[in-house]
Amino acid sequence: MTQTAKAAKKSSSAKAAAPAKAKATAEAKATTPEVKKPASKKKQAQAFPFTAIVGQEEMKLSLILNIIDPRIGGVLVMGHRGTGKSTTVRALAEVLPLIPRVKDDIYNRTVDQYIDAESGKKGTPVLKPEDVKTEMIIVPVVDLPLGATEDRVCGTIDIEKALTSGVKAFEPGLLAQSNRGFLYIDEVNLLDDHLVDVLLDVAASGRNVVEREGISIRHPARFVLVGSGNPEEGELRPQLLDRFGLHARIVTINDVAKRVEIVKRRRDYDEDPEAFLKKCTREQQKLQKKIVTAQELLNQVSMDDKVLTDIARLCMNLGIDGHRGELTITRTAYAYAALQGKTTVTMQHVREIAGLCLRHRLRKDPLETVDAGEKIERELAKILGEVEAAA
Amino acid sequence: MIAFTDIVGMDLAKQALMLLAVDPSLGGVVIPSAVGSGKSTLARAFADILPEGTPFVELPLNVTEDRLIGGVDLEATIASGQRVVQHGVLSKAHKGVLYVDSLSLLDSSAVSHIMDAMSRGAVIVEREGLSEVHPADFMLVGTYDPSDGEVRMGLLDRIGIIVPFTAQNDYRARKKIIDIVLGTRDSEDTEDELRMLRGLVNAAREQLTHVSMTNEQIKGLIQTAMSLGVEGNRVDIFCIRCAIASAALAQRTEVGDEDMKLAVKLVLVPRATRMPEREPTEEEMQSQEEPPPDETEAEDEEAPADTPDADAEEEQEETPDMIEELMMDAMETELPDNILNISLASKKKAKSGSRGEALNNKRGRFVRAQEGEMKSGKVALIPTLISAAPWQASRRKEKEKSGRKFGALIINKEDVKIKRFRDKSGTLFIFMVDASGSMALNRMRQAKGAVSSLLQNAYVHRDQVALISFRGKQAQVLLPPSQSVDRAKRELDVLPTGGGTPLASALLTGWETAKQARTKGITQIMFVMITDGRGNIPLQAAYDPNAEKAPKEQLEKEIEALALSIQADGVASIVIDTQMNYLSRGEAPKLAQKLGGRYFYLPNAKAEQIVEAALS
Repeated sequence: MTQTAKAAKKSSSAKAAAPAKAKATAEAKATTPEVKKPASKKKQAQAFPFTAIVGQEEMKLSLILNIIDPRIGGVLVMGHRGTGKSTTVRALAEVLPLIPRVKDDIYNRTVDQYIDAESGKKGTPVLKPEDVKTEMIIVPVVDLPLGATEDRVCGTIDIEKALTSGVKAFEPGLLAQSNRGFLYIDEVNLLDDHLVDVLLDVAASGRNVVEREGISIRHPARFVLVGSGNPEEGELRPQLLDRFGLHARIVTINDVAKRVEIVKRRRDYDEDPEAFLKKCTREQQKLQKKIVTAQELLNQVSMDDKVLTDIARLCMNLGIDGHRGELTITRTAYAYAALQGKTTVTMQHVREIAGLCLRHRLRKDPLETVDAGEKIERELAKILGEVEAAA
Repeated sequence: MIAFTDIVGMDLAKQALMLLAVDPSLGGVVIPSAVGSGKSTLARAFADILPEGTPFVELPLNVTEDRLIGGVDLEATIASGQRVVQHGVLSKAHKGVLYVDSLSLLDSSAVSHIMDAMSRGAVIVEREGLSEVHPADFMLVGTYDPSDGEVRMGLLDRIGIIVPFTAQNDYRARKKIIDIVLGTRDSEDTEDELRMLRGLVNAAREQLTHVSMTNEQIKGLIQTAMSLGVEGNRVDIFCIRCAIASAALAQRTEVGDEDMKLAVKLVLVPRATRMPEREPTEEEMQSQEEPPPDETEAEDEEAPADTPDADAEEEQEETPDMIEELMMDAMETELPDNILNISLASKKKAKSGSRGEALNNKRGRFVRAQEGEMKSGKVALIPTLISAAPWQASRRKEKEKSGRKFGALIINKEDVKIKRFRDKSGTLFIFMVDASGSMALNRMRQAKGAVSSLLQNAYVHRDQVALISFRGKQAQVLLPPSQSVDRAKRELDVLPTGGGTPLASALLTGWETAKQARTKGITQIMFVMITDGRGNIPLQAAYDPNAEKAPKEQLEKEIEALALSIQADGVASIVIDTQMNYLSRGEAPKLAQKLGGRYFYLPNAKAEQIVEAALS
């Protein structure tokens, strides 16, 4: 649901907890500057539950597909104001599965990545997988605020250490925290150009290279990029647009019954968040389980060459440049099939997700009257028609 | 100081503030009002009716990003040698009021930060080595004068109540104003009244959870929102909260008709994007008694409503005006085929550095730090400390040797780094298109093509485009400064043409648009005038229907005075003359000369030629 109300209006207990938490973070920093909590723990504990959000299926599906297969490449959510864009993304953290990482690793690395980077380096001992301790963490969701400066995004020298002990230590930034997780940018179309440059660079290479203030660090930074915004506030740079795997569109719900439901749920939540969350626990767990099942099934999903050919033809007919369109459709269709509990991708699966994958890849024409989604649907129908005729 | 109860008139605004005091989760109140109406006095007096100790923070318009969201406290950090965090204005307003006077003049990055804070109830600080969350759950009270420009929609969407615009107080109010000024009112009276109001607010806050609202009432408000074309679902919730707060304020346990009417007035009507088919309030309210219509049907009615609705509005506009109207459809407009070439041309231009973003030491967004003198800008603390850090040990030794005193940190001149800011402003192109006479269709098409192709590249330069059409009695801003292709497309879909040529009015409207843009940090402005330069309607005609005819000299004088002032104001201009040669009497080149701009004779101008002319 939505929207509505300011996410701010969390429960009163969340409000009270917030300052305490900020303080706690500061204290933790003072005593043990090198140990960072995963970003997800920094967030207020009680977001509006994902499963209680009414409608906006396109956005919810896009996010779930990205959890199942992060290689889909993220999602851009664009649409009307006050329709629950950020509420939904912030609710995501509660249904995310657990992943293993090296214990206390600031980059959330897997054992393999850790050994690759750290083992046998400059006199350090050669590490074996059994030497490395691991822990389970929730897939991190990192919020990138508009006013972030580059040093906090990429990481920089730990200034306190440098001043007090003269040691050049690296203080990791948001990119480090978001490795193997989600990086969320609200109002992404208003993001400063220099930050967009950084993001494009990192998203393309999957690693963050910091060469500044006398430190030289490189660390993995693979994240699912999630952006949201209102197209009327400004356009998105095309290179950035292209980076997003999926493009979910979101509109004001115009169904009275649904809108009444939205308002009622929000009121229930505002009145007693604890009770409301409790009521949703089962649904939340069910969804989480469904996602995990789909993840496990993903490896067994296969696709006919015929379907692959049809996807290629669809992209060609729509005049989409490059191969990212095909790649995204294929991966997304796999994840979608897995979510449906199927092990074979059919054209029907493709049809359900083609709009999400291709909408933002069509050339944008300001005087175009035909909706991009319609265009895609039309081409699909043509191809499917041919399929039927051939069969 | 003038107290809340002393303020006269503006009853609706007062009522709105009372409701906000009762339920702060309404997000805020925006009061649009003309100069001198006492709106800012009222807003400041709002603190009177809030529980004691509620923070009230006024946001200065020229606030910098680090003051707004917080950052490192320079002095304290240097003094103590440890990082000291300073909370920003937004988090200082936590659990209280953030007041912004002239909300529409606030620069766009500050607006974005406020929006972000309102949506989270907190400020996330990720700057200069800091990574913190500061709670910032505040009520926003904003006042502005609509003639200064409008407030960004995204921000308005997060504010529950928008007080309908009122021009003036009535005479009874004036009498009271005079009384207050003359001091005939007793200060004890005032104190009593305030105490009573505070009591009312407190009682209402307690009452809030006891107010109930029926499903039919909720449905009625939502249907009203839909029939007014209000965007988004967040507004529904504000509307319902507003009705409940109103009932609580009256110590009722059930929401009544008057509460719902007030909610429609304060929350929905100011956001209406279309006229409802039926009357919004009265009838809508009464219709509840009838069985509510089938929902799916209602939805079906809503979905295609756009087209007939738009028609209805046009008809309304048409009636008072006797001008023959030619409705032009953007769908028929052809797009220039080589739009790509234009984008290439403009990119080249951007690199040459004459337009686009300007790095400077004063305003805009902090981008990077550079060596420089302390006086030449704002000191970038962290980079300065970083460059000083490696030398501390050796410097300390040196100082010890020489026996001089030193502080916790030794910073030399060469360590100092200053902040470089990026002024996020491209050029604002104000298109002024002559929509009068028979060539109007042609000119409009050219202008639209040019607007579209400029916008295609808006993201590259942060350029903006506005479009003013002039025809009939006065000029009209069809597209306020915008970067959005979607928005331009929507606004330019239907353009009326035909009638007289109010050239002077166009210049004035363009100049006003330019001035407004300046206050928002856009420094480079260019007029692109597509006209034959032959004005025949005086400025007066806008408000005096008898003034349509005017002697030629008066017309010329008006245009000349305006053109010279615009030139003196530093606005660049080009004039594109599309008149056939044999009809031209040389007015357009004259206009260009007075504006100090260049003149292009392009009788069959293609959109891309206009873009090239504007960028050259």
